Amino acid sequence: MDSFWKKKLEGFNTERKNEEYERWVASTLAPWNRQTGYRERKYQNSSEITIKEVYTKEDVQDLEKKLGMPGEYPFTRGIYPNMYRGKLWTMRMFSGFGTPEDTNRRLHYLIENGETGLSIAFDMPTLYGYDADNPRSEGEIGKCGVNVSTLRDMETIFKGIDLSKVSTSMTINAPAAILTAMYLAIAKKQGVPFDKVSGTVQADILKEYIAQKEWMYPPEAHIRIIRDMMVYCTKNVPKWNYISISGYHIREAGSSAVQELAFTLADGFYYVDLGIKAGLNVDDFAPRLSFFFNSSINFFEEIAKMRAARRIWATVMKEKYGAKNPRSMMLRFHTQTSGYTLTWQQPLNNIIRTTIEAMAAVLGGTQSLHTNSYDEAWALPSDGAVKVALRTQQIIAEESGIPDVIDPLGGSYYVEWLTDKMEEEAYRYFDRIESMGGILEAIKKGYIQKEIADTSYKRQKRLESGDEIMVGVNKYVEEGEEPINYLKIDKKAEEAQIARLREIKRTRDEAKVKKALEDLRRAMLDDNENLMPYYIRAVESYATVQEISDVGREIFGSWKEPVIV
Amino acid sequence: MDTLSIVRGITAGDQRIVARAISIIEEDNDRSYEIIRSIYGMTGHAHIIGITGPPGVGKSTMIGVLSRKLTEMGKKVSILAVDASSPFSGGTILGNRIRMQDTLSRYGIYMRSVSNRGMTGGLSRSTWNIVKVLDAAGSDFIIIETVGAGQSDIDIVYLADTVIVTLAPGLGDSIQAIKSGMMEIGDIFVINKMDREDSFFALKDIMDNVYERNGWMPRVVGTNSLKGEGYDDLIRAIDDHRTFSVAHGGKRRIRYREEVRLALSRIVERHVWKEFGKLLESGEMDSYYDEHLDPNTVATEIFAQNNGLSQGNSVERRVEF
Amino acid sequence: MEAGKNLSSSRPIKVLLAKPAIDGHDRGIFVLARALRDAGMDVIYAGLLPTPEQVVDIAISEDVDVIGLSLLNGAHMTAFKKVVDLLKERGVEDIAVVGGGIIPDDDKPKLEAIGVTGNYGPGTPLSTIIEHIRKRGEEARKKKEM
Ligand code: B12
Ligand SMILES: Nc1nc2c(ncn2[C@@H]2O[C@H](COP(=O)(O)OP(=O)(O)O)[C@@H](O)[C@H]2O)c(=O)[nH]1
Ligand SMILES: [Mg+2]
Repeated sequence: MDSFWKKKLEGFNTERKNEEYERWVASTLAPWNRQTGYRERKYQNSSEITIKEVYTKEDVQDLEKKLGMPGEYPFTRGIYPNMYRGKLWTMRMFSGFGTPEDTNRRLHYLIENGETGLSIAFDMPTLYGYDADNPRSEGEIGKCGVNVSTLRDMETIFKGIDLSKVSTSMTINAPAAILTAMYLAIAKKQGVPFDKVSGTVQADILKEYIAQKEWMYPPEAHIRIIRDMMVYCTKNVPKWNYISISGYHIREAGSSAVQELAFTLADGFYYVDLGIKAGLNVDDFAPRLSFFFNSSINFFEEIAKMRAARRIWATVMKEKYGAKNPRSMMLRFHTQTSGYTLTWQQPLNNIIRTTIEAMAAVLGGTQSLHTNSYDEAWALPSDGAVKVALRTQQIIAEESGIPDVIDPLGGSYYVEWLTDKMEEEAYRYFDRIESMGGILEAIKKGYIQKEIADTSYKRQKRLESGDEIMVGVNKYVEEGEEPINYLKIDKKAEEAQIARLREIKRTRDEAKVKKALEDLRRAMLDDNENLMPYYIRAVESYATVQEISDVGREIFGSWKEPVIV
Repeated sequence: MDTLSIVRGITAGDQRIVARAISIIEEDNDRSYEIIRSIYGMTGHAHIIGITGPPGVGKSTMIGVLSRKLTEMGKKVSILAVDASSPFSGGTILGNRIRMQDTLSRYGIYMRSVSNRGMTGGLSRSTWNIVKVLDAAGSDFIIIETVGAGQSDIDIVYLADTVIVTLAPGLGDSIQAIKSGMMEIGDIFVINKMDREDSFFALKDIMDNVYERNGWMPRVVGTNSLKGEGYDDLIRAIDDHRTFSVAHGGKRRIRYREEVRLALSRIVERHVWKEFGKLLESGEMDSYYDEHLDPNTVATEIFAQNNGLSQGNSVERRVEF
Repeated sequence: MEAGKNLSSSRPIKVLLAKPAIDGHDRGIFVLARALRDAGMDVIYAGLLPTPEQVVDIAISEDVDVIGLSLLNGAHMTAFKKVVDLLKERGVEDIAVVGGGIIPDDDKPKLEAIGVTGNYGPGTPLSTIIEHIRKRGEEARKKKEM
């Protein structure tokens, strides 16, 4: 079998000889170095790609063919012809904490301050499908995001917010179908037709097994639920992005930029296969797939990664999947700056790091952006810290001139070479993953997770030895720093959520709940049944997140991660 | 804790004391021998099952299922799993527990992870004595998971009453086994992951290659450990092999000989190396070096001159029958 | 079989690393597991989402010297305390409990007061952590030998 990936790999020649460079090194650089000395260190990026002092025309391959123009295949320069002159990226600050009331207030605050898209963070019990009154949830309610146990909580979060006017992104995965059902139920109540509802749920379960580790059932069960969401939304909620294929978490779990690129796109191709297998036409659903990348601190590496991602997606969608609609080939993505690069020490430095990372995201052509707050390593962000983070984006957008020209780094020998190089390395991974039986197999074997853990440990050791620097952490360290003011979650949130849940359980129509759950159970046993309508009915009966999740736990069982340490 | 309380705790099956006793056994010192001597009379009841096979075939998962099934049948099961230490630091990541933890918690099954402490052969030196502790603690079955380094996991043959070689489809594990001598050590062959497409080929590979050894025709069983399928057959095979080995005197005499050999080599090592070790550090070495004497001759001579084995360090008849 | 090596009977410090709550942040604990192994220790990782009861069961069965608890989700005051209480309930005094993760300064003295030491946060050098765990492990080992 002649693999698609192998053939692609043959098209690269990124390590080709560069005579002009070699001449220059011998005749100009080396003598100069000998005379003036130089900084002895390894010039490498996160992907362990060695970087030369300078790049020239000879390093860049087939530029015209691979670059194209903005809004044209292969979209290396950006997916829209006018990019930020048409519309700035969506400033979407990930938020949610405490009770639904707390979060509702935060959302209104952000809207007043010019935020253009909502993004909800849920707490740990919600993310794993447990209710507020589960003993396991003790101490975790509202700590890492907002707690949602029933539809009532979601109604409170969106109080005073017109769902036909905002687009909402929800970082939810294992119970994504349940939260989508809740959102649709609220739309119904507000009288907003489903085709006006716009937003995103993450629902990328593959990267959960890889990186974020939030799952309830074995992979196959979650994948079936995603398939049902895909099919249902493609038909009924055309502006709903039912999956956000995420590299962010993969990167934060410790991967390199190349690994983030490769594993995320490999996940993406898996979902394309899934849609096709479910009988959908590529061009009917591929335009709804969107991506979510990290923007970390190595400026050019990040920009190259985003450009490479666009080019790979376009190429593979066209050549491998036979997509015809250009929208199927356009890789749209959200970006979040890297939380991992932000330090607990000297927290104000984080504003600078976030600025650099946000600039890379814009230069990389992102469609929306979350900027982390300077108190990232302390706690969920405080109001004040979030505001600085939002203002950072506004300054880049409205003062810096950065968004005025499309892909301003296009044609830079370095950036173009690095884009090629990262693309090539990604293809190498696709090939390896395919030879292991595909991404799901590679995940089940723990291969992907182990690759990431290896990279993460290597990075930690480089920090330990001082080969890599984090200012304030292993260089320019200050003793006896003053603590900052950070957000503290009131223990009352927990009590309030448990009380509310009890109240709902007392007052809801039990017979209706029972019936909805029983219907869901039966639908789950029948692979041909689409689960979405059953989820909607279940949430509308005020069945809880856990009650609904437990139906699947009983049928599908649970899953234990492979051992990779 | 004094030795008497430890011995009492072991024989009463007190998990905490068993756990502490195993730590002492791992130290491999006089105290550990004392404990073994004291409990030896209570050992011999447990049936020892060794599970070996390449990494990732599902040994730990299988042990989770097998121990659950045996416990449900009213048997007392203990588990010992061996991991390889890092050749650089000597430290070890003990990673077998995760796959079985839920079962262990639910059924209160005792499980212990140990490092092989750099030993080849798939077990640690202490494994032999740890088994005695688990045996004296009243286990009906002791299940041992070997390191899982494939062909070098051979020591289990001496230790276990029943050796289960586990394989899985994919990556040519079954072919590897046939090539690498694992066919010679299994009393039972398990093809795990029967839920996978290519599993029947693996099953057939093995079936075509087993042969009778010492009157026992190895069984070949297919399992799906995620669903717990095939375990009735597996348990039947274990039981048959147990009946067979009881009737045929089994491997216990071989094991016994191996245990004495190991104990002997330990004593030799401890005592002899103490002496020779000193010699190696002495100035004599420098003079040999200066004379440019070949190392083998030096060693032979040192050994001849210091053949003190039979004096002072006589092997005590500690083992009771 | 090796000869002459490893004659010393001393066992390495044995550590159980666990995240005793609903928390999937495992990057840090993976780094720690490897770092402790590379420092010559025996390390068990409890896997994701163990209950405090399971953590204590494992610690006792494996007779570890140190339990290293890591939480980044803000539940440390509840979850670390549960582990400590269970140990106490079961009369275990010779296993040290060390903590780390996202732990606000205000909580550190409270954790120390219930016997959870270290409580290291982001950016702590591995060498500091290894040293602390070794020290606490040796203390625990002494208690066991009494
Ligand atoms: C990486 C990361 C992620 C990754 C995790 C990937 C993974 N598999 O680990 C991803 C992107 C998936 C993620 C998701 C979430 N995250 Co997060 N994440 C982080 C981040 C940026 C870095 C953590 C990290 O890995 N650091 C690198 C490692 C090496 O360091 P470390 O874990 O801190 O460990 C060091 C020390 O702390 C110490 N240590 C740690 N444990 C122990 C234990 C012992 C015994 C000892 C001695 C020492 C010790 O030693 C280590 C070496 O120095 C932090 C913020 C930050 N900068 O710290 C937020 C952070 C922890 N996350 C947070 C949140 C809210 C979440 C989410 C809940 C968001 C949501 N609502 O969806 C989810 C939940 C995920 C889950 N399943 O649990 C919050 C927690 C808030 C709080 N506690 O109040 C933080 C603080 C960010 C923030 N300010 O909002 N996250
Ligand atoms: N498909 C399938 N996977 C299994 C089966 N048994 C175990 N596994 C998986 O195989 C992987 C390795 O299992 P593990 O027990 O750790 O293997 P060990 O290294 O031999 O101990 C894990 O991801 C298990 O979930 C099985 O019967 N079928
Ligand atoms: Mg194993």
